[in-house]
Amino acid sequence: MFCIVRLLALAKPLTRSINRLILRMIYFIGIFILLIAAILLLPQAFGVLLNGGSIVKTFDFNPLFGAVNFVIDPLSAFFILIIPVMGLISLIYAKGYLKPYLDKGKSINSHTMFFVTLVISMLGVVTCQNALGFLICWEIMSLSSFFLVIFESEKKEILNAGVKYLVFMHISVIFIIIFFAMLSIKAGSYDFNAFSAILQNNPHLKDVVFLLAFIGFGVKAGFVPFHNWLPEAHPAAPSHVSAIMSGVMIKTGIYGILRILSLGGIPSKALCYMVLAVSVISFLYGILYAVGQNDVKKMLAYSSIENIGIIGAGLGLGMLGLAYNQQIVAFLGFTGGILHILNHSIFKELLFLGAGCVYLKTHTRDMEILGGLVEKMPKTALLFLAGSVAICGLPPFNGFIGEFLIYLGMLKGLSIKSFFAFLILIFAISALAMVGTVAILCFTKAFSVIFLGHPRGENASQVKQDAPFTMLCPMGILALFALLIGLLPNLIFKILIAPVFSLIHNSPDAGFQGIPYAKTLAASLSQLTPILLTLSFVSFGLIVVTGILMLLKKMYNKKSETSSTWGCGYNKPIFNAQYTGSSYVSPFLSMLKPLFKKVFDVKKPKKLFPSDAHFSLQIEDIEEAYVLSPMVKFDEWFLSKFEKMQSGNLQAYIKYGLIFLILAILGSFLIG
Amino acid sequence: MLVKFINLIFLLILPFLMQGVIKKTKAFWGGRKGASVFQPLYDFIKLIKKDFVISKTTSFVFPLSPLVTIVCTMFAALFVPLSNGTAIINIPAGLIIFAYILGLSKFFALIGAMDTGSSFEGMGASREACFTAIVEPAFFMIAASIMALSGNYTFDALSKIVSNAGSYGVLIIIFAVLALFLMLLIEGCRVPVDDPATHLELTMIHEVMILDNSASDLALISYGASIKMLLISSLIARLIIPESITGLEYFLYYLLIIFAVSIITGTVESSTARLRMSHVFEFVFVMSSFALIILSLTAARIFGG
Repeated sequence: MFCIVRLLALAKPLTRSINRLILRMIYFIGIFILLIAAILLLPQAFGVLLNGGSIVKTFDFNPLFGAVNFVIDPLSAFFILIIPVMGLISLIYAKGYLKPYLDKGKSINSHTMFFVTLVISMLGVVTCQNALGFLICWEIMSLSSFFLVIFESEKKEILNAGVKYLVFMHISVIFIIIFFAMLSIKAGSYDFNAFSAILQNNPHLKDVVFLLAFIGFGVKAGFVPFHNWLPEAHPAAPSHVSAIMSGVMIKTGIYGILRILSLGGIPSKALCYMVLAVSVISFLYGILYAVGQNDVKKMLAYSSIENIGIIGAGLGLGMLGLAYNQQIVAFLGFTGGILHILNHSIFKELLFLGAGCVYLKTHTRDMEILGGLVEKMPKTALLFLAGSVAICGLPPFNGFIGEFLIYLGMLKGLSIKSFFAFLILIFAISALAMVGTVAILCFTKAFSVIFLGHPRGENASQVKQDAPFTMLCPMGILALFALLIGLLPNLIFKILIAPVFSLIHNSPDAGFQGIPYAKTLAASLSQLTPILLTLSFVSFGLIVVTGILMLLKKMYNKKSETSSTWGCGYNKPIFNAQYTGSSYVSPFLSMLKPLFKKVFDVKKPKKLFPSDAHFSLQIEDIEEAYVLSPMVKFDEWFLSKFEKMQSGNLQAYIKYGLIFLILAILGSFLIG
Repeated sequence: MLVKFINLIFLLILPFLMQGVIKKTKAFWGGRKGASVFQPLYDFIKLIKKDFVISKTTSFVFPLSPLVTIVCTMFAALFVPLSNGTAIINIPAGLIIFAYILGLSKFFALIGAMDTGSSFEGMGASREACFTAIVEPAFFMIAASIMALSGNYTFDALSKIVSNAGSYGVLIIIFAVLALFLMLLIEGCRVPVDDPATHLELTMIHEVMILDNSASDLALISYGASIKMLLISSLIARLIIPESITGLEYFLYYLLIIFAVSIITGTVESSTARLRMSHVFEFVFVMSSFALIILSLTAARIFGG
């Protein structure tokens, strides 16, 4: 008896270590699968992007739904470039991030599996050119990301956020199914090539399909008014999952819109204007709400809405350019938009991973109680700074190139001889300028409140060391990508030409040759080259000259005395009196108070002597407050009327079944 | 090439002279003799030689931020028409590069201020960021309207307003000059918005952001701020001076306008009081209304009869 107890006691650590081994194995198998996917697909994608043409693989699923084409054309090749690489980077990062959960004995097997499934299904979404196959991949993508979001499903708010995400995704998929059904009934086939002909011959059908697609894919992408799931799902998910969802998965929505454009060409002018207007509203809305968030991941989620808006503005501009037959405007708009897809996936992933490092060390996402982390986490701070500069669209990083192209396109678009186009473009330009500066406000707040100054609480002051190498290395790679695109825009431009041409020429596999506008476009391209060279000159110059100045400063190192921060003559600074994030953004937000339901929660001291008082920033989403909550409330009220039907009484249920059957029979008589 | 080089030299010297002239004007209105117009240059040299005092709270951001600020301002200057009427790098959408490089300098100025963990500097940073968010859209709206008039997307468009818009052009120029002058007061932190001479931390904006900077850092920051003022005045000069004037003649007019702007700034500083902080926002929004006026004038010119 005693022996058995001893054996059992021994067995427990043994099984635990075996368990660990299996967990590790599954994790490495996941990495291996993604690595293979990347190795197999990247050369092909590069080939398609540089040389044009497309690669078609047909699989015959005959008894179910016939032959299914998997195609790598320039448009999907561009997305293939992003998906496996970003997936791999996130998964490598995940090891460090999930370690505390592993130590607590939580299994990450299913998590790893769903992660790999998500990446593979995204690859399926961008390559499958068959409506049914597309929808299956789309649904697998939504479901696997749902399971990733609810990783900590034992927490109630996380489960709620996950369910909200699931509901939004299924509302979106209804629209997508509807337009695919419309097209496949008309075409008699599920193949995208068949849709293309139908769309091009029916302008009205094209408008309807485009509108449905814009709503359906727009929910996924997070355009305002369909954005509401983003700020809930991203904070709930683990950081590497938020990174891949915000960096890559929401772009599949953009891919869907682009695919419809490349199949059928542009819809009517009104819809082109609509895309531009919705995008402008999205980026303004996104950044204004991002400024007011104290939760770092919620802020990043709102900033994703902003960036999706910028991408959409590029696409809208491109569509407007095509509608008014201005190829250069169209070219610049599409190029800027598509480049911003890549850029955003890089810096948003970097920032989410950075936020994950901070969460791992401090166990909080609330920026207000952080601070001073730069001392203990200098590398994370530096990488987060790089991401922040990039996301504000500032040189020398990549964000600048994309926004610059969109600006240039908008300026050129001002020559369109249409009053409405002129007006919307001018307002879009100044709105974009405003977004740039508000983004600076937002990200200087985030960076400085998290990393600079003094720790504002226990969570920040107990941090001992920086995040492990396996987490910093993926971030470093992303920062390097961001810098390289900023420094060498000419090179990255080469891979954008093929997808952009396929949109302008409205045929999936367009190369340089055989395009009617090739001459005008070639002229505009040659105009663009010196501008891009100037951009890389500026970026290099900024870095090199700053570096030289730093060296000079080091060489002539003068005596420097350290002292405490200036506090009006007080030598012992009170750290509680530091500026917080809320106070940093308060002048700006109080200026825009009418746009929000509630900005500050203030209780001022009223009596002569100090009494109870507080001030905090509490921004509620206006759509959530005025549209969604009333809707949900109404539903609850309405559906509660039917509660009585569910009596739990078997006879009652049989009665319902009987009534239903009679109604069904009567109904079929009436119709038949 | 030589012209560009001379341009650069003037870019380096003129900011000091501008500051000197402003100070001299203020001294004149104050009934004092005032320091020499070269005093800002002497101050710069004196500061460069001094030793640093650095706060214990700061990190790598703090010493980096003055350098980035000055380098960015210098690079931004390359895209603005200076003393010969064209920018050193004259490319389409130079405006955007100009604005975004200045944006980078602002980014680092803000995080440099927040790095000290001081409540004063945080306050200054938050106000500065807020004003930029109002100024920048207005500036872009003005520039885009003017560029739409001529279909020219370089800063040369500023000189082509009259030739493209006739009598509308005169109105556009007047409002654009006014708007840019407001921008100069806001971005250059001059009196109705901010007081560079005050020493009360709570009321300052830009000055309070640099409370903890010392020695060469402080010198570079104030030099950068004066270069920014010169750049905006250069845009004003390009707006006012007609297209037909070039070469040496342009240069003389340019100097005249730069000094006129400095004298007017000094006069405004001497004759008005600093606005209360809540009214500063209203003042900043005046620029937006000018931008809307310019937009409507442009639209009337392009699409009206």
